[in-house]
Amino acid sequence: MTVKDNILCSKSHEYVYTEGEYCFIGLTDYAIEQLGDIVFVELPETGSAYRKGEIFGTIESVKAASEIYMPVSGEIIEINEQLIEHPELLNEKEFDEMWLIKIKADAYEEDSADLLNYDTYKEEVE
Amino acid sequence: MAKTFLYNNHIKLGAKMVDFAGWEMPVQYTSIIEEHNNVRNNAGLFDVSHMGEIFITGKDSLNFLQTLVPQDVAKLIDKKALYCQFTNEKGGIVDDLLIYKLKENYYLLIVNASRLEADYSWLIKNKSNYDATIDNKSDIYSMVALQGPKASDILNEIGIKKENQPKTFHIDEYKLLNEDVFISRTGYTGEDGFEIIIRNEKVSELWKLILEKGKPYGIMPIGLGARDTLRLEAAMSLYGNELNENTTPVEAGLTWTIDKDKKQDYIGKNIIKNQLQSGTDKKLIAFKMTDKAIARHEYPIYSDNKEIGYVTSGCIAPTIGKNIGLGYINNKNLKINDTIQIMIRNKFYNAQITDKNFIQKHNKGN
Repeated sequence: MTVKDNILCSKSHEYVYTEGEYCFIGLTDYAIEQLGDIVFVELPETGSAYRKGEIFGTIESVKAASEIYMPVSGEIIEINEQLIEHPELLNEKEFDEMWLIKIKADAYEEDSADLLNYDTYKEEVE
Repeated sequence: MAKTFLYNNHIKLGAKMVDFAGWEMPVQYTSIIEEHNNVRNNAGLFDVSHMGEIFITGKDSLNFLQTLVPQDVAKLIDKKALYCQFTNEKGGIVDDLLIYKLKENYYLLIVNASRLEADYSWLIKNKSNYDATIDNKSDIYSMVALQGPKASDILNEIGIKKENQPKTFHIDEYKLLNEDVFISRTGYTGEDGFEIIIRNEKVSELWKLILEKGKPYGIMPIGLGARDTLRLEAAMSLYGNELNENTTPVEAGLTWTIDKDKKQDYIGKNIIKNQLQSGTDKKLIAFKMTDKAIARHEYPIYSDNKEIGYVTSGCIAPTIGKNIGLGYINNKNLKINDTIQIMIRNKFYNAQITDKNFIQKHNKGN
């Protein structure tokens, strides 16, 4: 599998990549694998702003609810609406296609300094 | 952590393993929802070897057992199962269990893995002068559960012909793989099915045989994840969630299992009798979420902005496509169809109290 080459991952298993002036944030393949069947996704309102490390949503598998943290600070521009009705898409599609939120980052360079590139992240979790 | 004699089988099948009551058990092999649906539609095989098997023998077996449970064990005929609770002095539940009468003065008790030590101590402590032997054979026996609408066909394939299979809530002794085994028609899924008790040394061979012969019937191995969603859809209680030492069978909605006219004394009888007459403030309810959210263990339950209880179990119910749960409330006025709120991440979500028939059960019988 090839993943987007500018993808960065947090130790709490979120990823972020930039495309133009926006960032896309989602859950790593490792996180999705660990969660199993995803049955519920709760995402923030567009227009709201969250700081790096803040909880911006919730993801629930059959077994448990887990919180999702902002890997970088920013304003929510768009949420991936299809996941509200079809959270199972997270299990079915490539993880880096199924972003959760699109944001406008406040200070991407600074905030992303402690994130791991995908290969390093995979080595750490596996 | 303890491993069952099927540990290597689980690993080979690619199971994700978790700690359950000190045992390393499979939580899922493929997907909890897929496994869940397969048990409802076809068949599933569960490793339940972590559960305890305790034999009670001796001429006072019946009298001894009568002192421990609110059910009338004397009504139990040979080769039949009885769902019981060990109750303490406060009427609280030490464990819930099945008592099988194999024959006169020969009973088999199947208890929860998490409560095996507590149960064994409880039995020893309360044996007093009864001429009864308490024999914990949990280290000798393994157990698998074969559940689902195709379970009887599959058991037939492995050599227990349909006409010889135990009837619902019965048990018998059989020969399988040249071994003496116990097979009961019981389970924890709301489906027809069997539980097979076999010596540890033979369980891996039995596991493989059932999966192989069950293949044309669509059998799958099933982990504890689906075991939990299946039992919750069937509104069956789980010790540690719905049941504990501070909750009586009456509060837990198990009045239907109690023999109200039982003559013999049993531990906690005064309290339970009193509760049977006057009712209880605390009661177990079933609910369906009407707002889009999943209630989980220990989330608070509200009514009219007052906290009135807590969720004991909650999950999505794959069979009915709704989010369901069980919980305790301290409120005598609320009835079926009334609306309650579940506090989830500091927000209120509506739920409706329902009866305990989330699904049509297929395990009812004589």
